[in-house]
Amino acid sequence: MERIKTGIPGLDGMLCGGFLPQTANLVEGAPGTGKTTLGMQFIYHGIVACGEPGLILTFEEFPQQYYNDAANFGWDFRQMEQEGKLRVIMTSPEVSKADLEQVGGRIERLVQKIGAKRILVDSLSHFERLSRDPAHLRSIIYGFVNSLKREGLTAVLTRESMALLGEAEEGGDEASAFLVDSYVLLRYVEIESAVRKAILVLKMRGSDHDKGIRQFDVTSRGVEVQSPFEGREGIMSGSPRRMADSFVQAFVRR
Amino acid sequence: MDELDLTGRLMADMDPQLLKFLQAKVNSFVKWDLVRFFHDNPHTTDTAGNIARYAGRTADTIRVELAELAQDGVLEESQLGDMAVYSLASDRYVRDLLEQFVKASDDRQFRVKVIYHIIRGTR
Repeated sequence: MERIKTGIPGLDGMLCGGFLPQTANLVEGAPGTGKTTLGMQFIYHGIVACGEPGLILTFEEFPQQYYNDAANFGWDFRQMEQEGKLRVIMTSPEVSKADLEQVGGRIERLVQKIGAKRILVDSLSHFERLSRDPAHLRSIIYGFVNSLKREGLTAVLTRESMALLGEAEEGGDEASAFLVDSYVLLRYVEIESAVRKAILVLKMRGSDHDKGIRQFDVTSRGVEVQSPFEGREGIMSGSPRRMADSFVQAFVRR
Repeated sequence: MDELDLTGRLMADMDPQLLKFLQAKVNSFVKWDLVRFFHDNPHTTDTAGNIARYAGRTADTIRVELAELAQDGVLEESQLGDMAVYSLASDRYVRDLLEQFVKASDDRQFRVKVIYHIIRGTR
C-alpha cells in the first residue's frame, strides 16, 4: 500500500511506512512539544524528497515565523515559495472553511496551480471559536477535513493540548480525534527530574501501527524519534515509574 | 521657504511611480500598515475583523481603509458566503509597485517623506 512518508524515520517506522494517502492526521501536544516542527518536516520532506508541493495553512503565526523556524533546520521555505512548491497562507478557520466549500475557491485554485499533495493546518484548535456546540463543531471540522481529502491532500492537522504533563484536560474539541484517520500524541514526560518528550501513535485507521511509546527530540535536523522507553510504565501520565518499583508496590509491600 | 517649496524639495527625487502610488493610494498610516501587511503575507485572504487582529488594530479602524485600498486596486474585495474578504490584488503591476514601495520604505529618508506626505494630506 502506498505511504506518504513524513521524513521522520522513527515516526515512519511507527506508522508502518508513513501516513495513508489523502488522509487527515492529527498531531496533538502541549506548547513546545514540536507539533509545528513535525508538520513543517512533513511538508519539507514532501517537497525535497517526494516531489510533492505543499501548503501551510496558519491561523495564528505569521508566515515569517515559519520561514524563520524552518531556516533553523536548514529548510529554505522562502526559496520553495519562490519556486512555486510551497505556499504559506495566513487566514482564519471561518474563511478557509467557506473558501473550501466553494467550487473553484482560492485554496482549490492554489492546490491545482502548484500541484499540492500535502497540507499542514496549524492549528485545528482555532476552529473551537466557531462554535460552542460540540455537535456543531464536529460537523464543521468533519466538513473541513473532507474538503481537504476531496482536494487530494494528505493533511497534518495540529491541535494544542494544555496538559503539560499527564492526561489531557476535559472540554474543548474532543470530536476531532474521532474524525481523523490517524492520531499522534506528543507528551512531556518527567523522568528523574528531567523533562523528556514522548510520542505515541494512538490510532491509525486502515493500517497497523506501532503501539509503543517512544522518546523523541527536536534537534538541529528536526524531529528525531528515538528508542522506546524501557523498564518504565505510566509514561503518558507524565510521571512514569520504574516497572520494578511498581512490582514492589504491587506485591512486596502488601 | 514656504510649504510648497519644501514639499517640492522632499518629493523631487522620489521615483514618479512611487510618488503617484503614495499620493493616490497610501494616504494614511493605517493604509501604510495594511499594504505592508499584505506585502509580507501575500496569500492572506480574510475578513476585516481578522485582518485587524493580525495588524493589532480594531475592525472599525481599518474597515474603510481596506475598502478604499480595494477601490484603488491595491487589494481585491470579494464575497465569501456572507463575509466580505480582502486579499492582495493579483495584478502584476500593482504587486511590483508594492514591492518597490516596501523596499524603498527600508530607507529612513524615504520614510520621512512618506510621513510628511501623510501628515500633510490629513490637514
